[in-house]
Amino acid sequence: MTFVLQIAIDAISLGSMYSLTALGIGLIFGILRLINFAHGDFITIGAYALIVPAAAVVATPFIGTWPAFFLIPAIISIVIVIALLTEFIAFRPLRGANMASLLIASFAVSYVFQHIIILIYTGRPKAVNVGIELAQHIEFVGLRVPAIQLVAIGAAITLLGGLALFLKRTAYGVQMRAAAEDFETARLLGVRANTVIALAFAISGLLAAVVSLIFITQTGVLSFRMSLNLVIIAFISTVIGGMGSLFGAAAGGFLVGVMSTALQTVLPDDYKLTRDAFVFGFVILVLIFRPQGLIVTKAVRERV
Amino acid sequence: MSEAATKGSNGELLEARDISVHFEGLAALDGLSVSLDRTEIFGLIGPNGSGKTTLVNVLTGFQKATAGRVTLSGRDITDWPPYRIGRAGLSRTFQAVRLFRDLSVLENLEIAGVGHGLSRRAAEKRAVDILEWMNFEHKAYDLADTLPYGDERRVGIGRALASAPQFVLLDEPAAGLTDAECDDIMQLIARIPADFGCGVLLIEHNMRVIMGVCGRIHVIESGQSVAEGPPGDIQSNPDVIRAYLGSKPQDA
Amino acid sequence: MQAMGPIEKQLRRFWPFASLALILLIIVVVVDASGSILMQRTVADGLIKLIVVVGIYIFMGNSGVLSFGSIVYMMIGAYATAWMTLLPNLKRFTLPGLPGFLIEAQLDPFVSLILAALLAAAVAFVLALAIMRTNPIAISIATFAAMAMGYTIYNNWERVTLGTSSIIGLPMYVDMWVVFYWALVVMAIAYIYQISRFGLALRASREDEVAARAFGVNVYIQRVIAFTLSGFVVGIGGVLHGHFLGILTVNAFWIQLTFITLAMLVVGGQNSLAGAVVGVIVITAATEIFRQMEKGAEIGSTLIQLPLGVQEVILGVLMLAIMIFRPAGIMGGREIPWPFGPPKPIRGGRSRTLETGAGKARTGD
Repeated sequence: MTFVLQIAIDAISLGSMYSLTALGIGLIFGILRLINFAHGDFITIGAYALIVPAAAVVATPFIGTWPAFFLIPAIISIVIVIALLTEFIAFRPLRGANMASLLIASFAVSYVFQHIIILIYTGRPKAVNVGIELAQHIEFVGLRVPAIQLVAIGAAITLLGGLALFLKRTAYGVQMRAAAEDFETARLLGVRANTVIALAFAISGLLAAVVSLIFITQTGVLSFRMSLNLVIIAFISTVIGGMGSLFGAAAGGFLVGVMSTALQTVLPDDYKLTRDAFVFGFVILVLIFRPQGLIVTKAVRERV
Repeated sequence: MSEAATKGSNGELLEARDISVHFEGLAALDGLSVSLDRTEIFGLIGPNGSGKTTLVNVLTGFQKATAGRVTLSGRDITDWPPYRIGRAGLSRTFQAVRLFRDLSVLENLEIAGVGHGLSRRAAEKRAVDILEWMNFEHKAYDLADTLPYGDERRVGIGRALASAPQFVLLDEPAAGLTDAECDDIMQLIARIPADFGCGVLLIEHNMRVIMGVCGRIHVIESGQSVAEGPPGDIQSNPDVIRAYLGSKPQDA
Repeated sequence: MQAMGPIEKQLRRFWPFASLALILLIIVVVVDASGSILMQRTVADGLIKLIVVVGIYIFMGNSGVLSFGSIVYMMIGAYATAWMTLLPNLKRFTLPGLPGFLIEAQLDPFVSLILAALLAAAVAFVLALAIMRTNPIAISIATFAAMAMGYTIYNNWERVTLGTSSIIGLPMYVDMWVVFYWALVVMAIAYIYQISRFGLALRASREDEVAARAFGVNVYIQRVIAFTLSGFVVGIGGVLHGHFLGILTVNAFWIQLTFITLAMLVVGGQNSLAGAVVGVIVITAATEIFRQMEKGAEIGSTLIQLPLGVQEVILGVLMLAIMIFRPAGIMGGREIPWPFGPPKPIRGGRSRTLETGAGKARTGD
């Protein structure tokens, strides 16, 4: 019983990270058909912002030394600004471009970000200790779990809940949901494209910042490609949940988190490392048999 | 049935029997039947939203019929996918024209032949023949994207003929054309049955075109049949006039 | 087309291929004459990328469907040729997971290349059969998921791929000229495919899927054919890559290479073979120029030197700029035009062959 609970907490906390990241990617994808690979760099930048910009081998904490009360808003603001700038400089001029161009553009943005990081910080991984107290295990319903796992779960619940309220209750939220499901129709109905898209990028920046703080607390290592795997899995999650459905993206993230943890537990040792291959295989099956995702939005049929 | 049947068309008919299409309870087509042979130009008219395009989509496999059968020269093609129906000899134009924009006029026509199973060489030969037939060979190498609107419509018809069809369905070929262009298109359409041995199902709002080229006309309203007959009878048919009273025909 | 002689017609027909071949030939001859080993290696590496990009183009350019996971076929080709050409003694110890016949095999490089590319094609074929029925966006993502799956498996399949370690000792028979010959072969394959009825049918579906289906194009089958051929060609690129470097790492076949190759294609213009080739040339040249500038270059009397790492940033910004200001790519989807005027209008004089064969229409699927 304890074992199962332990696994469940692992699964949900992993799912929380996937879910928050998936939502950031799904939000942009739903509106712009843009697979935003640079989302991973938003996460990376949030983590690098904790230390003094320098090429030194040993990282000197900068914002990282601030109390959480200042640290968290600072990182969130930085990442949101980066996300908005990215939208304004790189993606706004590409409005209406085809999916390949958008994908390449996001690759290019990601490439530029990564090499700017290399220019400033060098490509060497760096250790950084933030929130050491959170890495310790605490007693929780008779279990010893790392506090950061509970923080991740708490952050996910708060952010997802807040976002759900925002999307349901506010005018901008409703516009954003409409835009995510059918951008063209939403525009015809008077949704202001620039506002909604900027807002979407701001929210994805917020989500990325939170993920980056949790992520760096968990791993303690900075590297310019630290978020690549996270982003790939998160993107896959949006597909499983249903592209264009924000609820689907969030749910997909949890589903993949649970699936990965379950596979990790069930698979024989030789295959544990290939657990992601099973997740990717599962995605292909979903795309073949339910291309609209497991959580269905509306099926679009082209009029002849 | 019609006079064409007595001309000995060997029973090569395009036939739709009792076609119904329901969208979430709404009947777009309700038990409609039409039939034409390979020697005639058959007009289909009706007010906007009466189900004309839905019928074309059912015939060409783009829309599943809720009930009813479609047969082509005796074969039941009701549940075939579009590409198979296209190969079996039923070709069409689109209201939105839908040319292959980034390809040349010649290639647009070739694709119809290639899709029909011809080699590229044979398809090119046939495409050239058709362009000559429509006096359009001088624009063979122009990109479809660069054509003026009237020419787009003509190329659409040429493409439909390039697949060597037994029947061709023309979905509003004269929409948006000037009077002079309309005359050109009418002449073109009128020559199809004799030159290609191909029946024509013509959907059109422009009454001048319909009355000018069709041997028989079928009128539908709200997915149901109102009348069928030669142009003279249709023009004086009280049911037809009533059907058009609420929504008068749009002369483009 | 009486106005054109048959010879001129054939020349015109193959000009888009011939002109590109000529450009590559000039580059290769000049670099060969320069005697710079470094330049030759750069060009050879560029030509290997060219083969991969042309392979991606075969599917993506003709179908209009983004192929996001093509690099996996390069990996499959590269590892397959390693299995077939490494010394049996080496394999016995380093790759014990291989089946016996593969451990003992030491094939001729050409045979190995063909077999390896066929394996890549076979994998592409099986995937294509499964995914090509769904919508274009789902197809793109499925190709990516398949790549991620292949990458994860190879990265952990120690007994056959050495996992995250490198396989060394592939016979290094590949130099600039060898790659050049294969690049010509591959470009010819791509060009002949694109002017064949299969290529034409797929291009029609790229322009308008609905209309293509109405005119008898089985879009599913056409996509499967193109994707399989694409896998074959990309596989060749992988084989040459392996024998050029003599060393293989799974890590090399991942996002970075996916990005570079796709960027080359899109920057050049994904809708034409010329776009694929020009994109590779431009990006390879730009990369090389920036690399030289990092070393420092004398322009006039001043030494201009870029700080280390700036070249990638500039390159990324440049690609972004091309995406923004020339979204159809440098070539704009066109092939290199015949230099002696546009095709002459078709003249009449042919006997009419318009009648349709009554009831003889093909109905097979």
